[in-house]
Amino acid sequence: MLRQRDGHLSRDLVRTPGGFGLGQVPARHKPDATADLVCGYCSTGCRLTVHLKDGAPVNLTPTPGYPVNRGTACPKGWEALTVLDAPDRATTPLLRDGAGNQRPVSWDAALGTMVERFKAIQARHGAGSLAFLSTGQMPTEEMALLGALAKFGMGMLHGDGNTRQCMATSVVAYKQAFGFDAPPYTYRDFEESDVVVFVGANPCIAHPILWERVLRNPHDPAVVVVDPRFTETAMQAAQHLPLRPKSDQSLLYGVARILIERGWVDAAYVEAHTRGYEAYAAFVQQFTLDRVAADTGLEPGEIERLAATIHAGERVSFWWTMGVNQSYQGVRTAQAVIDLALLTGNMGRPGTGANSITGQCNAMGSRLFSNTTNLLGGHDFGDAGDRSKVAGVLGIDPEVIPHEPSWAYHEIVKGILEERIKGLWVIATNTAHSWINQSQVRDVLGRLDFLVVQDMYASTETARMADLVLPAAAWGEKDGTFINSERRIGTIRKVAAAPGEALADFAIFKLVAEYWGCGEQFRAWESPEATFQIIKRLSAGQPCDITGIADYAMLDERGGIQWPCPAGGPPPAPGSERRLFEDGHFHHPDGRARFLFEDPRALPEAPGERYPFLLLTGRGTAAQWHTQTRTAKSAVLRKLYPDRVYVEINPSDARALGIRPHARVEVRSRRGRIRATAFVTRSVQPGHLFVPMHYAVTNRLTDAVFDPYSKQPSYKACAVDVGPV
Amino acid sequence: MANATVPATLVDHYLRLQRRPTVGVGGGARAASADTASARMDGGRLARTYDAGGGGAVPAAAASEGAASGGSGATAVDRFARAHDDASAAGRRALTGRYSALMPATSPGEGQQYAFEVDLDACSGCKSCVAACHAMNGLEDEESWRDVGLLHGGGDAEPVLQHVTTACHHCLDPACMHACPVDAYEKDPATGIVKHLDDQCFGCQYCTLACPYDAPKYSAAKGIVRKCDMCSDRLAEGEAPACVQSCPGEAIRIRVVDADQVVEESETNLFVPGAPEPGITLPTTTYRTARALPRNMIPADYYSVNPTAPHWPLIVMLALTQLSVGAFLVEQVLGLVAPSALMAAIRPLHSASALVFGLLALAVSVLHLGRPQYAYRAVIGLRHSWLSREIVAFGLFAGLAVTYAAWPWAGAHLLSAGGAAPPWLGWTVAGFGVAGIGCSVMVYQFTQKDFWNGWSTGCKFLLTAAVLGLAAAWLSLMVTAAWTESAASAAALERYGPVLCRSLIAAAAFKLVFEAALFRHLAARSTTSLKRTALLMSGALSQTTVARFAAGVVGGIAMPALVLLSGTPAGQDVMLAPFVAMLFVACLAGELLERYLFFAAVASPKMPGGV
Repeated sequence: MLRQRDGHLSRDLVRTPGGFGLGQVPARHKPDATADLVCGYCSTGCRLTVHLKDGAPVNLTPTPGYPVNRGTACPKGWEALTVLDAPDRATTPLLRDGAGNQRPVSWDAALGTMVERFKAIQARHGAGSLAFLSTGQMPTEEMALLGALAKFGMGMLHGDGNTRQCMATSVVAYKQAFGFDAPPYTYRDFEESDVVVFVGANPCIAHPILWERVLRNPHDPAVVVVDPRFTETAMQAAQHLPLRPKSDQSLLYGVARILIERGWVDAAYVEAHTRGYEAYAAFVQQFTLDRVAADTGLEPGEIERLAATIHAGERVSFWWTMGVNQSYQGVRTAQAVIDLALLTGNMGRPGTGANSITGQCNAMGSRLFSNTTNLLGGHDFGDAGDRSKVAGVLGIDPEVIPHEPSWAYHEIVKGILEERIKGLWVIATNTAHSWINQSQVRDVLGRLDFLVVQDMYASTETARMADLVLPAAAWGEKDGTFINSERRIGTIRKVAAAPGEALADFAIFKLVAEYWGCGEQFRAWESPEATFQIIKRLSAGQPCDITGIADYAMLDERGGIQWPCPAGGPPPAPGSERRLFEDGHFHHPDGRARFLFEDPRALPEAPGERYPFLLLTGRGTAAQWHTQTRTAKSAVLRKLYPDRVYVEINPSDARALGIRPHARVEVRSRRGRIRATAFVTRSVQPGHLFVPMHYAVTNRLTDAVFDPYSKQPSYKACAVDVGPV
Repeated sequence: MANATVPATLVDHYLRLQRRPTVGVGGGARAASADTASARMDGGRLARTYDAGGGGAVPAAAASEGAASGGSGATAVDRFARAHDDASAAGRRALTGRYSALMPATSPGEGQQYAFEVDLDACSGCKSCVAACHAMNGLEDEESWRDVGLLHGGGDAEPVLQHVTTACHHCLDPACMHACPVDAYEKDPATGIVKHLDDQCFGCQYCTLACPYDAPKYSAAKGIVRKCDMCSDRLAEGEAPACVQSCPGEAIRIRVVDADQVVEESETNLFVPGAPEPGITLPTTTYRTARALPRNMIPADYYSVNPTAPHWPLIVMLALTQLSVGAFLVEQVLGLVAPSALMAAIRPLHSASALVFGLLALAVSVLHLGRPQYAYRAVIGLRHSWLSREIVAFGLFAGLAVTYAAWPWAGAHLLSAGGAAPPWLGWTVAGFGVAGIGCSVMVYQFTQKDFWNGWSTGCKFLLTAAVLGLAAAWLSLMVTAAWTESAASAAALERYGPVLCRSLIAAAAFKLVFEAALFRHLAARSTTSLKRTALLMSGALSQTTVARFAAGVVGGIAMPALVLLSGTPAGQDVMLAPFVAMLFVACLAGELLERYLFFAAVASPKMPGGV
């Protein structure tokens, strides 16, 4: 009555040993089984242990002992199951009726309509008038099936993925420099460097579990951060170079000039393993200290200090991500990073490398197996030998394989505008939110004859525009494999039931094949695991050869396996970590890496009189992912980021414009205007603004400018103005 | 629309595969053999089979149906089972091995306790600790016992961003525990962990107001507060708390701290920038940094001002108890000067209506409790909780007031003795009422919020009692005069009506000026908590503020002044009864709005928040 120490409320919080090596767990959620799967957010590729009770997931914890994350995860991973239960999950196909409303229909009706409409479009406008836009979020098996189905079964010529928005630059940079899209590192390199240089990367927020690896480095490494913003990572750095946006190329060439001038070059390495050094050395001569200081706005002493730090390091690793990739000159900037690693011989040894940290969980799978820019397995559409090899593996007529790669994402968008593409199939991406210059792309999507959106939520900005919505099972509701940033292949599996009639993307593709009438062609693609065997065969003889991986079970036992893993070689030890190019042999026919360089170009839209500020965009918090279609569905994650869009502005700018802290302001560009809350902070330099990319309005401001080689959008530099509302 | 070339069953086939679990139940060989059962497809739902000794749980249907998309077959299940056995031992080693450095080597001794230690330099702001606390403790949808805020400052050349993770600080002198009226908090004598007894809690939420660090979190669904217990079950087994385990940067540790040192550090205000003054509760968490944080570090939410959720039952309870006490008090004062015949005429109606308001207030206050069925537990905390004392004082007030108010009625109808209650009883009722108001004041004073400081709150509460008590007495007088139509009443009304009216104007005017004086803080350069309150009242809550002052001016000044100035002929005053009733309602509305602002506009000291 008066004193009650126990009861149902106390019992609600009781913890009990969970078994399965989990330590204590909430007693209510004591599992009777567990299943491990790789996280479905970013490319770090953490493994999560899902706690199952009566066949349903009740909780998850990061997997201890997995060589990637070793028992930790970021908030997105911790909340990965929560977002599966959202009320706006797509549970049935939705077809737009005559009145313009999306109405539930059966799968039979949905697929019948899709095929009928798509075939009618092709009959009228040609086979190439259909295209697809896909994702870096699906397992490799689904990507490969989609790519093969669309191009070899349905006759499409063009398909691209949202990986264009994140990794395209690294792909091209590596391909040109190394002869193959081969990120050379393993995460252990974070722990083995004595100098760690981050260019345009904020791992503290964007890849917290990789930052953890830096913190575990026992060598007290000198951390250098090249970033216009004073980010969390910059705070932790021994040296931060807050350069002018997009002046990285100039800085890197200037550092190279100093290294060469002072004889701080690994001449033996350059001589033995590279090509193009002389031209490069001559080229960088123009990047004198004065010029670079003027270009970057940095103190000359800071530039010399960076060169000296790199020289002093025994094991220097260079890491870049979206600050480099999402640029109108991203490829050459990434290659300027690669050049420095080659120049100083920081390649192929522990703690070295020119390393691109990838974005999405399976961006790497998309790079090799999406059949868009590359023919399946990192092959070349233009190479007859590659075409016949792939046709042989798949048992198809080589003639159905197009001779050219797909158009890039922006070319597909342009194709719609030019009425060359009339039907579009969007899978697991949210173009109407994430594509650059959003108002324009929404207008363009509205011009399609038939838009099919396949997604786990019926509520995305793009799904709401669709003529047909196909409900997809999500991560955790299907099987497959992801390839992470360090080339590690890991499995995902079904631990939860998909809601309603939602189907795995794999099953949807199989059904589309049947309804299209080309089902026979994909009989061998029986299941994700059967498809994995096809993928293995496609990789044979490639740098990404994985023929030595027996099956999913082997992947699980070994804690994931990094490519390459060719048949016949010794199987990798469980939990092992491997880097590439330890023998100095690259994938170009001559075995040498290339020095690649080019004159930096001016900002496409420099701040001027009407738009005096430079807008930077990027990740807001570790709890937010891209367009927030998933992360906004977790109440815990929502607590961890501001619910309304905000703009970071330097106090001196705010004062000059009469903007009070936390006041509402308007940010205007030539393309649109948004309202946001002013966060007055010194984390941005005077003259710069920063708006997180996750809010639906952000891309109304951005300018559709692209890298000429990678076709990646330049999200991080456009001219804007700001003022009080 | 159906496609003739596609078997109609194909879609069904894939839907069936999708619905079939690929992951079996049963934790490896041992659990599986214990769980041997049989499986079959049963109306689309799968009953599972566990193959005894087969090394794992194999849904038979899965095995028979063959592998296809959305799920692979039995091999997957085998795989999981094998992994489980290995994981039990290896995982456990990984868990304890990794975190041993983050745990204290010894248990706390005399004068010591467990405490969190945060290495600010190692915190990069990923906030995994918040999500892990939620998941590993099985909390409600939004619930987590940890929060992460952001401090920023420094100069343009060297700006500083510093994330600050915070949970319960397991204070030496926990305000939550002292505040709790039902003793639902205990400070463990051995570990120093401040534990909340969930089944003892009756959901008054007072601890959420008393804790300067926002540590106890109220769950409306459960009707109780819950809070961090430093994962004491885990600690007891040598396992690290959820937040400690989950931090990728190993920024959170458990340490044994000396009480003396906590006191010393609190006295010198060595806590963390932007945090409430540690001297209040002596928080034991240590925030360490090897760097010198610049002096201009401010929380990211320093300039954001947001209204607090109001507590409607408390708003009504406070205003109506004060009305009731004020009415009794005015009656007693009037009794000192007015003829007893007059008082006898007024009393039945006046004290009855005062009582009704008082009882209504107490009834409404119970609605504030998450678990009102345990309201009686409130007496437990009498020795330390102002809330207990408030409840007891008002309980006695109500009990005596019932006796007092019933006296004339009971006398008239039951005892046929008639006559007034003894004056000492009236004064005792009023005395307990005033004591209750005093406890109310202390309830808020205890929370150490500037807007709720004792002096200001005392003035407000007593002036509410005065305004509403005077208005109520005037209305009673008028209604009695109109009701009885006696000459004595009319004379009394003529004599005392203007006095009550003038007193009402004076009290109301003084109170409004007192409240308006808050806006002087708008001129402050630094964003003090009182400036935040003033900003809220003039910004987000401005409509309520305007309504409050309008009601106060109309009901407490303008309408009474009209009565005074109207020059109503003697004997005609009773005609004004409806008008006075209206001004009473206006006064009451004004006070309710004032009390709404009292809750909604309070700025609480708190740990640094996010953008």
